[in-house]
Amino acid sequence: MLGFLARRVGAAVVLVFVISSITFVLLSFTGGNPARNIVGQSATAEQEAAKAAELGLDQPLISQYGTWLGQLVRGDLGSSWFTGQPVSSTISNALPVTLSIVLAGLLLSAVVSVLLGVAAAVRGGWVDRLLQIVSVVGFALPSFLVALVLALFVAVKWGLLPATGYTALAENPSLWFQSIVLPAVSLAIGAIAATAQQVRGSMLDVLRRDYVRTLRARGLKSSSILYKHALRNAAPPALTVLSLQFIGLIGGAVVVEKVFGLSGIGTAALSTASQGDQPVVLGIVLVTVVLIAVVNVLMDLAHGWLNPKVRV
Amino acid sequence: MKRRTFLAATGATGAVAGLAACGGSDDGSSGGSGSTTLTVAAGVAPQPWDPKDAGLGNNAWYYQPVYDPLLSVDADGEIGENLATAWEYDDTATILTLTLREGVTFTDGTAFDATAVKANLENTRTGSNEAATNIASIASVEAVDATTAKITLSAPDPSLLSNLATVSGMMASPKVVGTDSLQTTPVGSGPYVLSTSGTTAGSQYTFTRNADYWNAEKFPFDTVVIKYMSDTTALVNALRSGQIDGGQISDYKQAAPLEGAGLTVAKYAMGDVDGLYIWDRSGSIAPALADVRVRQALNMAFDRDAIIASAAGGLGSPTQQIFNQDASAYDATLDDTYSYDVDGAKTLLAEAGYPNGFEVTMPDLSTFFPAPQAAVTEALQAIGITPNYETVPADQLINDLLSAKWAMSYFSLGSYRSWDTVQIQVKPDSLWNLFKTQDPKVDELIQTAQASLDEAEQKAAFTELNTYLVEQAWNAPWSHREQYYASSKNVTVTMRSFAPGPWLVDFAPAS
Repeated sequence: MLGFLARRVGAAVVLVFVISSITFVLLSFTGGNPARNIVGQSATAEQEAAKAAELGLDQPLISQYGTWLGQLVRGDLGSSWFTGQPVSSTISNALPVTLSIVLAGLLLSAVVSVLLGVAAAVRGGWVDRLLQIVSVVGFALPSFLVALVLALFVAVKWGLLPATGYTALAENPSLWFQSIVLPAVSLAIGAIAATAQQVRGSMLDVLRRDYVRTLRARGLKSSSILYKHALRNAAPPALTVLSLQFIGLIGGAVVVEKVFGLSGIGTAALSTASQGDQPVVLGIVLVTVVLIAVVNVLMDLAHGWLNPKVRV
Repeated sequence: MKRRTFLAATGATGAVAGLAACGGSDDGSSGGSGSTTLTVAAGVAPQPWDPKDAGLGNNAWYYQPVYDPLLSVDADGEIGENLATAWEYDDTATILTLTLREGVTFTDGTAFDATAVKANLENTRTGSNEAATNIASIASVEAVDATTAKITLSAPDPSLLSNLATVSGMMASPKVVGTDSLQTTPVGSGPYVLSTSGTTAGSQYTFTRNADYWNAEKFPFDTVVIKYMSDTTALVNALRSGQIDGGQISDYKQAAPLEGAGLTVAKYAMGDVDGLYIWDRSGSIAPALADVRVRQALNMAFDRDAIIASAAGGLGSPTQQIFNQDASAYDATLDDTYSYDVDGAKTLLAEAGYPNGFEVTMPDLSTFFPAPQAAVTEALQAIGITPNYETVPADQLINDLLSAKWAMSYFSLGSYRSWDTVQIQVKPDSLWNLFKTQDPKVDELIQTAQASLDEAEQKAAFTELNTYLVEQAWNAPWSHREQYYASSKNVTVTMRSFAPGPWLVDFAPAS
């Protein structure tokens, strides 16, 4: 198991290095003109050049990358070119927001899709047909549209939940929960549609297996067969879909965060990338890649726990 | 533009109740009778707390609670005392002597005095952002004694006093000026202090009262919360659900729904002038533009009212001047200089030797400003001029413009006080005088206005300069751009001149 873990962590480190390098190069081509963006329209060309030199933008690309990498190795992600705020502080403020809505959305989609998927597989008939319709509708609805509608009706018209903003969990758990409900639901709709179909398919497949028939013949209760044996064997494909959903939800969070005025990783990525705030963009990419790598390792571990053959 | 005050009726109950239902801030927030929290949205991201790296305009919101400027400026643009109680220029208008307020301390206990003024101004002017640019005329600062500071200028600066009432003139504790900590932690002498517990850097800033502030009655709210909101949908939802008390609305379609939801919506000029900017007046790359008749024809090609209605949803007032409506140079009668007259424009072009028009290359701005570009295209084609659009990447636009690549283009330049406008685009060395057009009469009028300490004489020089620029058709402006400010019924807001929106001091709880 340790070797398995070490291989996965090693791959994650290589992935982080490769992605950050690519991002650095891409930013140098597409990151706009941060020096001009900082000094504003009324600054002279000399002031702009001075700012570019201060930021190190007059250095060769490889030298800029070397400087950033050197700082990174020392655990320093640098500071925003625009706000002067340390990147680590920006990320530590934004990450909980995004993780809250993404993990809540993931949890919601996992629970609802298992319930829907199992029900459709076991009951069939109208329940199954309903799931098909719900899935198609869920796929077709973009998360930003769901977010707009939820914000307008649930928050603005009915005043049931906050329309914008985020309250930290440590500050007030109740307000934290209220602040993440609508964004999480907006994100979860599409994920539920995808995962429920996967759970349904896997369950149908597993329920046809010989060992399920044997368990039934031995007189085990259906609930025990269903949740203790069948679901465990049907789970790996659904887990794979969920891990992919996590990555998708982080992408989807960009739009949802904007609609709900949340200052999460998505909003930060969008605004800093358009400004060309290289240190923050690189920091965000780094954290996102690490997150995805961690989720993949966790999913691998979960697979290993569910299916010992994977550990070999 | 005249000062507009819009008062709100009482009606806090609904908003506060709505906020409670939403789980808003812990003290009920959003003003209202009995509540003294002001929550506003800022449409721009915060910048470093060091004034030398500060922008102006809407960026000023973040600095106003914690820093106090040397002078104040009221909503009509009148300069008043603040940390400086008196000021006087010498006869050359290049030495400004300030008498400073006594008994003021920064929140770290340091006393405010002339050495603090020297440290701050010398620090701020070394920056490269807008606050620094605005006091670039300062050559040196001398602390004559504890309550007297002498500022020496490299040349007369008619906008200096008003600039000392903005971020450029804000004072941070001399103990932190020049240190890295000022980038992330403000230490000032302003009406509020930044609350670390209520602040999440980059998204929400909470300020609580500075108990030692000398002029507390000018700032009636106990707490001020600034939320950074870049998305219009989120801003509108926050306003409609009562989470915030005020925010700028640039989308004209949102005005009616917000008014329908019980908010007060005020239209105001934000200080930008839209139009066709004729950069190459000397005809370096487009020879036709050197002829004043061609430039006048361009002015006659625009139906300004129709453009404002179609391209900006009515948000704008027609103009033919580059100066702000509240600026001393502004003369309302000049807006009737050129009537919309396509046939007249064609006649002028024919007299200038272009009976069949001419071709001109311009930057393709259809991605960013589709409606204004369509208006320009239609107007030019109507008088026989063919625009050839050249694709330009967004991040290259400003630099390409500054490198004098195009003879003319649609653009929008900030226009506040007369001298600011002159500095930005009229002087031969102005950044936005792209082809460095020079005219002896313009130079003479600028010199007269710049050196004058007599208000009437200065106004006369600026007005004459403006008249000359309009007659010479230096540009073809069409609109003083406007937008909306929406506010809850819990507050009153006074809109101000020479600013893209209200300042903190312009808010008060509704009575």
